[in-house]
Amino acid sequence: MIGIFQTKIRMFIRSPWVFVMMTAMSIGFALIIGGTGAYTAITIPVYSASEGIQNSVIGDILEDSDVYTFEWLSEKEVLNRLSNNKAEAGVALHEDDFQLIVGVETPTSKIIEQTIEGAYAKKAQFEQIVDASDAATVAEREAILDELQVSIESPVFTIESSSFRGTDAFIYDNTFQTLFGFTLFFVIYTIAYNVLPILVEKKEGIWDRVILSPVKKWEMYIANLLYSFLVGYLQIVIIFSVFRYIVGVDFQGRFIETLLLMSVYVFAIVSLSILLTAIVKTVAQFNAILPIVAVSSAMIGGAYWPIEIVESQFLLTLSKVNPITYGMEMLNGAVVYQYPLQELLFPISILFLMGVVFMGVGIHLMERRHI
Amino acid sequence: MLELVDLSKKFKQMYAVKNLNMFIEKGEIVGLLGPNGAGKSTAISMLSSLVEPTEGDVRFNNKSIIKNPAPLRKVIGVVPQEIALYEDLTAEENLQFFGRIYRLKGEALKRKVDEVLEQIGLTDRRKDIVKTFSGGMKRRLNIGVAMLHEPELIIMDEPTVGIDPQSRNYILETVKRLNQEKQMTVLYTSHYMEEVEYLCDRIYIMDKGNMIASGTKDEIKRILSAEKTILIQADFWNDKFINLLNDNPTINRVIITEKEITIIVSKEINIFPMLIKMAEDAKIELNSVDIKTPTLEDVFLHLTGRALRD
Repeated sequence: MIGIFQTKIRMFIRSPWVFVMMTAMSIGFALIIGGTGAYTAITIPVYSASEGIQNSVIGDILEDSDVYTFEWLSEKEVLNRLSNNKAEAGVALHEDDFQLIVGVETPTSKIIEQTIEGAYAKKAQFEQIVDASDAATVAEREAILDELQVSIESPVFTIESSSFRGTDAFIYDNTFQTLFGFTLFFVIYTIAYNVLPILVEKKEGIWDRVILSPVKKWEMYIANLLYSFLVGYLQIVIIFSVFRYIVGVDFQGRFIETLLLMSVYVFAIVSLSILLTAIVKTVAQFNAILPIVAVSSAMIGGAYWPIEIVESQFLLTLSKVNPITYGMEMLNGAVVYQYPLQELLFPISILFLMGVVFMGVGIHLMERRHI
Repeated sequence: MLELVDLSKKFKQMYAVKNLNMFIEKGEIVGLLGPNGAGKSTAISMLSSLVEPTEGDVRFNNKSIIKNPAPLRKVIGVVPQEIALYEDLTAEENLQFFGRIYRLKGEALKRKVDEVLEQIGLTDRRKDIVKTFSGGMKRRLNIGVAMLHEPELIIMDEPTVGIDPQSRNYILETVKRLNQEKQMTVLYTSHYMEEVEYLCDRIYIMDKGNMIASGTKDEIKRILSAEKTILIQADFWNDKFINLLNDNPTINRVIITEKEITIIVSKEINIFPMLIKMAEDAKIELNSVDIKTPTLEDVFLHLTGRALRD
């Protein structure tokens, strides 16, 4: 068994091109598509109808908004943008109130309104605090405001709130979506092309030669599958490490957990590859069937786009027998939703079950057919 | 040493091999001859315990190996028809790999690899990647791999297919040397009659899954002792001439190729005047008419009506 494994590693080192290509493509696609800002904050043009608003508390609060980018323009420019349909809504900011300028009432305009209302409420709150103090001069009032700002930034105690999230609530993070999606997608090719040599070796008689030797058949399978597993896993470790340590994606502090979880997915894909190898009769058939399986799995499994946006019941049903679906569910659950391990047991179990079933059926077919 | 008893293999509804009986004694070189598709490779797969027969038995030292192939597997080496090597590894690495799976290691492995490389004449190319080798070199290495663990019985399935005459000669000499110097028993399958004639003590001839003849070379050739083979050559043939040959009751068999016609007639018949008359009547010009010494090819023609390489 060790001899077979060593030989596989030696051949991998001598010809690592599929591995290098798939790793580079995973990283490249995740960087390019994840980095284009497919998800960017919506820009809202604003103008100050009263002097000093931009530099006031309101200006600061709007500046800090994660959801919208408020762009300060002149009144004319704001109106131009709206009339040219280059902005969904514009805002005129006054000293104590504001005016939302919209062409058509949309859900977004309501949220913009809430955001700005929040800023005014905050401003009013600050003013009430200052009024309640005994500051008389402008300098004193500013000193109190500064002190208030410092207190907000360094609170005496913090409150952590958590909430239950229903299945309908979905968080979309473009960086993780592309990183996880392309990693899970491209690793299928790496693993499958490392399982394929079993078919080639059977056809060329190498497999028969090993069968006639004292090596047991289970040792032959274990050596081949362990090798494919490790190569697939290595690819994932490299990709995630590049994003963690070079690109600077923090995996929300769950980098190691993410890597550990991936072992179940890799096992399922090794098994799927065994099944595909057992079904086909030639390398040409394998080359034809692999992209069909990989691409369609990625499409309905949520690797290219979030599965939450898929509405077809038929596709959603198909996604239930797709390892990528559970791979994405597991990774998003761990990193994006920050689920504890208990909540990830479902996708982990399904992937493990898929691995066992695919492997069992695949090896059975291979043995029965004697390719 | 090894015996096949009424061995058959059925794939779906078709017999690839039917009721095969043969034996191999220690120290012999036995030839298994037959055209492509005769069932030789299937027979070899069953004989080497890779494929389970549908019916019959394979006995090694009087014990069935169908359910317990281990004793046979220990002592056989198989040279498959395909080049069963890792093309991305060097000759030496291939031998090391196959040596390791036979539990050879350390100094013993190194010594054995050196010895085999010497025997197959690839010592100078030991560090070269196999995919850069010629067909003949790959075939030699393919044989070398089967010799690593010093098998008592080596089974060679068409080991000279698709190689140049020089490499072919080298392989034949290697097989002969292994048999003479190491007393290795060899089962050699081929559809090249001359190879089997040169190498083998006893011969089995297969066609369409059946064993159609067996015995020593002389015994098999004696099948033709009552007949003679005549080879007729001309630039072209016409239907009239072929009809005349087919209709002649003294001619036992007519085999037509593009430029040759082979006929088999009884030994006492003087066919020459008749052939010349037939050629005149059919208005064709004969280039030559030769009586051939019977070969195994003629025996095959006699038995099946087809040439071995049809």
